[in-house]
Amino acid sequence: MITLKNIEKVYQTKTIETVALHNVNLHIPKGEFVSVMGPSGCGKSTLLNIMGLLDEPTNGIVEIDGNPISRYRDKELAHIRNQKIGFVFQSYHLINDLSVIDNVELPLLYRSGTSAAETRRLALTALEKVGLSARTKHYPTQLSGGQRQRVAIARALIGQPEIILADEPTGNLDSVMGEEIMNILLTLNREDGTTIVMVTHDENMAHKTERLIRFFDGQQVSDAKTTAYDYQKV
Amino acid sequence: MIRHLFKLIWNRKKSNFLLMTEIFFCFLVLFGVVSLIVYNVRNYTKPLGFEYDNVWLLTMRPSADSAALNHQNLEQAVQQVRAYPEVEYAALTNSNAPFAFSQMTDNLSYDNKRSTQADHYQVDDDYADVLQVQPSQGRWFGPEDNAAHHQPIVINREMQRQLFGEEEPLGKLIPQNDSVNYQVVGVVDHFRGYSEYSAERPAFFTRINLQQSDKSFWGELLIRVKPGTGIAFEEKMVREVSGIGKDWTLEVATLEKMRQNKSKLTMVPMIALGLVCGFLILNVALGLFGVLWYNISRRNGEIGLRRALGASANQVYRQFIGEVLVLATFGLLLGVAFAVQFPLLQVFEVESVVYFLALGISVVVIYILVVGCALYPSRQAAAIHPAIALHEE
Repeated sequence: MITLKNIEKVYQTKTIETVALHNVNLHIPKGEFVSVMGPSGCGKSTLLNIMGLLDEPTNGIVEIDGNPISRYRDKELAHIRNQKIGFVFQSYHLINDLSVIDNVELPLLYRSGTSAAETRRLALTALEKVGLSARTKHYPTQLSGGQRQRVAIARALIGQPEIILADEPTGNLDSVMGEEIMNILLTLNREDGTTIVMVTHDENMAHKTERLIRFFDGQQVSDAKTTAYDYQKV
Repeated sequence: MIRHLFKLIWNRKKSNFLLMTEIFFCFLVLFGVVSLIVYNVRNYTKPLGFEYDNVWLLTMRPSADSAALNHQNLEQAVQQVRAYPEVEYAALTNSNAPFAFSQMTDNLSYDNKRSTQADHYQVDDDYADVLQVQPSQGRWFGPEDNAAHHQPIVINREMQRQLFGEEEPLGKLIPQNDSVNYQVVGVVDHFRGYSEYSAERPAFFTRINLQQSDKSFWGELLIRVKPGTGIAFEEKMVREVSGIGKDWTLEVATLEKMRQNKSKLTMVPMIALGLVCGFLILNVALGLFGVLWYNISRRNGEIGLRRALGASANQVYRQFIGEVLVLATFGLLLGVAFAVQFPLLQVFEVESVVYFLALGISVVVIYILVVGCALYPSRQAAAIHPAIALHEE
């Protein structure tokens, strides 16, 4: 599904060169739920941005379904993001001036051939999946943090992407809310077969996923399956 | 997408209120100035109804001596001027010669039903030759009018329309007072003597007959000179006419010069208003540019999000342009609702087409202005790197 080969990412300013990722090699097969852990500044978010085609590596190859993306132009990359990838962010990234349902519908704005009625139907289904069908007319500022994150997940789901990239999705939530969000992601992975890559600081959350990759100073230091018990218990 | 943009702008109406207000007022000022320009340009392109090249105006101001003597001298002066080989035609008129700063209007009514206020030109038989006025119906004045029972008049088409509508104008009698009637003997299609920028107004000509009015004095003599006639002839003519009316004050001006002076009267305020409007538009443009740039920089997170959700850089660019267009549309809707009252209520009695043209031009200019102001900030927005934008949020 996603393959990274010899990925290197260097941020360069006039005076400083910062290596964010160094020699990263990864393969994430379809249907896997992977968590990425590591201290702040170790390159987790950079990795997620590169996987999500939001950023380009300085060196190395990124492949989606076996196709190297370096030959794609901006428009084609945007199309892949729209069709295949859903994003969930720590700070939700909801547009406060749009209602819940309008926020959820956003990805389909950039997808041609979906009628307004179909878009509305898909948005309602996605909101139902995250248990927010009663909040469609609300605005993000009227919701709790957990509810906002559920809206963000519904937004990631509406386009029925094969991959969800979640950057610390429970980072801003208390443990109860965090559990709720984690359960939604696990259900998506197990029932719909959605591939999920989740960056987290929370060991508990990470151990609920199938595979845990650890990063330190831009390098991948471990990559292992988590215990079957933790993965099965949800 | 259009629905989405309208929804987004509508939901942000509070924060966009000032921008919409700015666009609204900018539109109103622009509409006013463009209406004035369209009005003047439309009038300018219409026929004047006469030719002013090689026409001079000799103004004669007698002292308070005997009216009979002045009249006698006037007849002699006119004969003298007509006798010069450099002069093709010469015609007496009252003070409202073409492009003069003088007007004479009369109220006329027909059949006690229709009335009009019309410009009144007193002219003699040679006036049509001097100004090359061509009646399109009937005839100009001539010796046959000496024995006329009613006072002959030539009217313009606008006066015909207002007084007689579709009726045949020739031969129609218009009461001047209890004992005298005007009788229409000719119709000219156009006559706009006041200014090139003035609208066609009802106008009529009455006949000066020097022989029949022995104490009257008309102090303006329009002279059509041969092409190439210059200042030497002017000096000679003034000297010799001064010899006839010894205490007269004489002035000569060309109609071309008078036309230019009259044009300035219209052009100066129009240019001044245009400059004020241009300055206002520049200010609005700079304000818009600044506000848009600021708004876009505040929306980095949203830009990053949209890119992550599948918007290409070009789509982000088009979205911001689209937002500005929607914003302008809200401002313009208010403005158009206000401006459209002018043609509906016939304000200033200006043709509706002038207002509608001005409205269309103003709308297009505002759209061009806002798009122009949005181009660079939108390009900046499109160039924002999505990963950086998301990180900044």
